[in-house]
Amino acid sequence: MNDYRFKDIRLHMKDSFRAEITEDMMDMFRRISGDDNPLHTESAYARSRGFAGKVAYGLLTSSLYSTLVGVYLPGKRCLLQGIDIVFSKPAFVGDVLTVSGEVSYLNDAYRVIEMKGRITNQDGVLVSRSKIKVGITDE
Amino acid sequence: MSIAVKVQDIFRDVFDNPDLVIGEKTSANDIEDWDSLAQVNLIVAMEKEFGIKFTIAEVEPLQNVGDMISLIGRKVAD
Repeated sequence: MNDYRFKDIRLHMKDSFRAEITEDMMDMFRRISGDDNPLHTESAYARSRGFAGKVAYGLLTSSLYSTLVGVYLPGKRCLLQGIDIVFSKPAFVGDVLTVSGEVSYLNDAYRVIEMKGRITNQDGVLVSRSKIKVGITDE
Repeated sequence: MSIAVKVQDIFRDVFDNPDLVIGEKTSANDIEDWDSLAQVNLIVAMEKEFGIKFTIAEVEPLQNVGDMISLIGRKVAD
């Protein structure tokens, strides 16, 4: 886990990691959220809606933005304050997602940063993009 | 557009209320959702709108919108 202080952060600083979407993750998310929508739980239904298979929950893939800021950039001292997410293309079980973030703004007064986040799949297709606001506790 | 009008637009955007009307004496006591996170969002939005940077020493003494507008005016003039 990284442990950047506010003074360590620079504009355009970046980090990224990869994660595979698994059936287990889909099942855990369904149990946590209670979202039984068949688009996410039944392959045949998802295909009848025009998708290649069960669609990965948008907030499951987006949970990786939490990992991005909580583990990678800034890491341990992170306080997630807000996130705006735009979904571009669906993700599916078996997809290997690359989650990346770049610091786009620094506010010295309150030690908060803004980051642009992106999630792409193994084919480089954009799954989602985000604007993330993070406070950094220096103490 | 005056600083005050731009600041009002920022308040309307941060609080997601297109009808919000603020005045020189408006403070956190007057807007229910004006908590510490909203304060951060307001300051960041003002920095971006006016192309300025605040220090914590400058923002801590702010008591109301009038103080904010005066501070922005001084920094924009620098």
